Amino acid sequence: MSQITLPIGPQHPLLKEPMALRLGVEGERVVSAEVEIGYVHRGIERLMQERTYLQNMVVVERICGICSHAHATAYCQAVEALLGVAVPARAAAIRVLFCELERIHSHLLWLGVLAEAIGFTTIFMYAWREREHALDAMESISGGRIAHGANLIGGVRADLTPDLAIALGSALRTIEERLGLFDDLVERDRSFHRRTQGIGLMTLDLVRAQGVVGPMARASGASYDVRVDAPYAAYSWLRPPVPITEEGDVWARAWVRVREIRHSLAICRQLIVSLPEGPLAERVPHRVPAGEAVIRIEAPRGELLYYIQSDNSDSPARVKVRTPTLPTLMALKQVLPGLQTGDIATVVAGADLCMACADR
Amino acid sequence: MHVLQALGEMLIFPGALYGLIISMLLAWLDRKLVAVMQGRVGPPIYQPLADTIKLFAKEDLDTEGVNPTLAGLLPVVALACTMTAALLVPVGNHAVISFQGDLVIALFLLSLPTLALFMAGWIVPSVYNVVGGNRTLLQYFAYEVPLLLGLAAPAAFSQSWRITDLMARQAGYRWFVLGMPLGFLVSSMGLIGKLERVPLDAPHAKAEVGAGPLTEYSGRKLAFWRLTSWLQTVVGINLMIAVYLGGADRMWRYWGLGTYLLKMLAYLGGLALVQVLYARYRVDQVSRISWRVLVPLGLLQLLVTVWLGA
Repeated sequence: MSQITLPIGPQHPLLKEPMALRLGVEGERVVSAEVEIGYVHRGIERLMQERTYLQNMVVVERICGICSHAHATAYCQAVEALLGVAVPARAAAIRVLFCELERIHSHLLWLGVLAEAIGFTTIFMYAWREREHALDAMESISGGRIAHGANLIGGVRADLTPDLAIALGSALRTIEERLGLFDDLVERDRSFHRRTQGIGLMTLDLVRAQGVVGPMARASGASYDVRVDAPYAAYSWLRPPVPITEEGDVWARAWVRVREIRHSLAICRQLIVSLPEGPLAERVPHRVPAGEAVIRIEAPRGELLYYIQSDNSDSPARVKVRTPTLPTLMALKQVLPGLQTGDIATVVAGADLCMACADR
Repeated sequence: MHVLQALGEMLIFPGALYGLIISMLLAWLDRKLVAVMQGRVGPPIYQPLADTIKLFAKEDLDTEGVNPTLAGLLPVVALACTMTAALLVPVGNHAVISFQGDLVIALFLLSLPTLALFMAGWIVPSVYNVVGGNRTLLQYFAYEVPLLLGLAAPAAFSQSWRITDLMARQAGYRWFVLGMPLGFLVSSMGLIGKLERVPLDAPHAKAEVGAGPLTEYSGRKLAFWRLTSWLQTVVGINLMIAVYLGGADRMWRYWGLGTYLLKMLAYLGGLALVQVLYARYRVDQVSRISWRVLVPLGLLQLLVTVWLGA
């Protein structure tokens, strides 16, 4: 049978963000895969060299619409490291609270995208409905649904008042109650298993070779979570459990993420109860002394790395962001050949790509 | 007078006009039911009509590299075949045309639109259309046999291929679905495949092949395809009601129509429920399930029926 090229993207119903897959297809089987990225490159790293450290707070949050807080946190931590400032305990805890809420809504969003890719629109609707509770909670605390603006260099801007803590608690309860549905989906639903088990296998070797991180890696048996392996902010005393499984297929990625949502809910609840008292932020100077800082944090999709070089001025000399999507894309290029065309959507959606992060 | 009556039956009730109205209503109800079950609001009742009017008002584009005559003819043929099938399948108690073997003819007429759909995809030089068209054809081979086997059991039992005969055999609530549940399930699954509904909607899986064979179509042609698909749903449901659910029972004197409508809604509700509960099968899974599960079950039902009937 002759080979045809199945173009997926830059615009395609499967993709939430522009990227392009050029797939060589023979009949119903993929024989070759090319990945093209760069469709949402906005030159943000360069832009950040033109702005002051404070102005960059606005810029970094707009790198990504899903893990905006992860970017802001990594950026703040890098600048704070350059300044030699330690954030107050309460600020560190609120940062983590937002990180975990973000993880919850990001994973629910991903579950919805995957469900839609396999034609399971009900789960798509349900997952996105529960996601709203996490978004609403973040909005009520910081005032921003997507770009939260919760962070400051030296601390946080948004405080968790007792009123807000009660509202947050009830939002968490709502999500938790309905999470049972997604547990059932992953553990028991046969039509979900049929489309996800044994699909898009990533071996531990491939994960290690390409440097895949986050839930993708943990679904292939790699025990790596920055929150535990190199704790930052309030994670030094929170110590979240890290769910790991070795199947390495799309199902395993769903299993890991649904588990993580549960653990994130537990962390949020723990933070509400034991939020340290104290100031929200340290005062910091505008001018940052010359130096270099490398910061790693665990974004919803995995390890997010920020490198900032300062030159004793009020704007950074160089900012470099390494997002978790990039290694996933490299691995994806090797996973796609050999798939059925019907599984392309499952695997691509199941990879939880964030092109806005990857392209910047 | 006879000519006028025939024309009226063909064009107004239960032919073209009634068929279009009821198919739009059912299309709306289907979407609404699914929406409510998924926690959404769903479309207003006039949505299918509004969609159709909008599509008819749009410019009729010819896709580059496609024979415009063929592209225009295929949806018309598909809709015409479906409408003809609608005349053979009883609405309530009454079929416009009824003769020995009309069940086979109705199934044949219902399978032509699928072949036309495959061709509509095949003639467009776009990957999504061609792949979607191929899937339509693959699925056609998978579901058509179970559908036929499922419907053959009541026919064998009644020793007639005439739909009204089958309905008559079920008078007094002796619905075939009670005696032949397997056949009912098998043919319902076949019908879901024919209508390309979830979980057998791989031919137009959005995330994989866009709109499948209809990706490059818009305007009037798309409207015709839409109408065909909606009308097929109605005809399919009518067929299942007539063959398996006893058609229009006379619960009390004039309540045949009421029970018929109830059965129609119940069957549609079942289809909507299946759509809500399941993820899509892959094309190869469709074939496997059809030949390994549905066909043997259908054959079993047929053999049991023939053995018991003899």
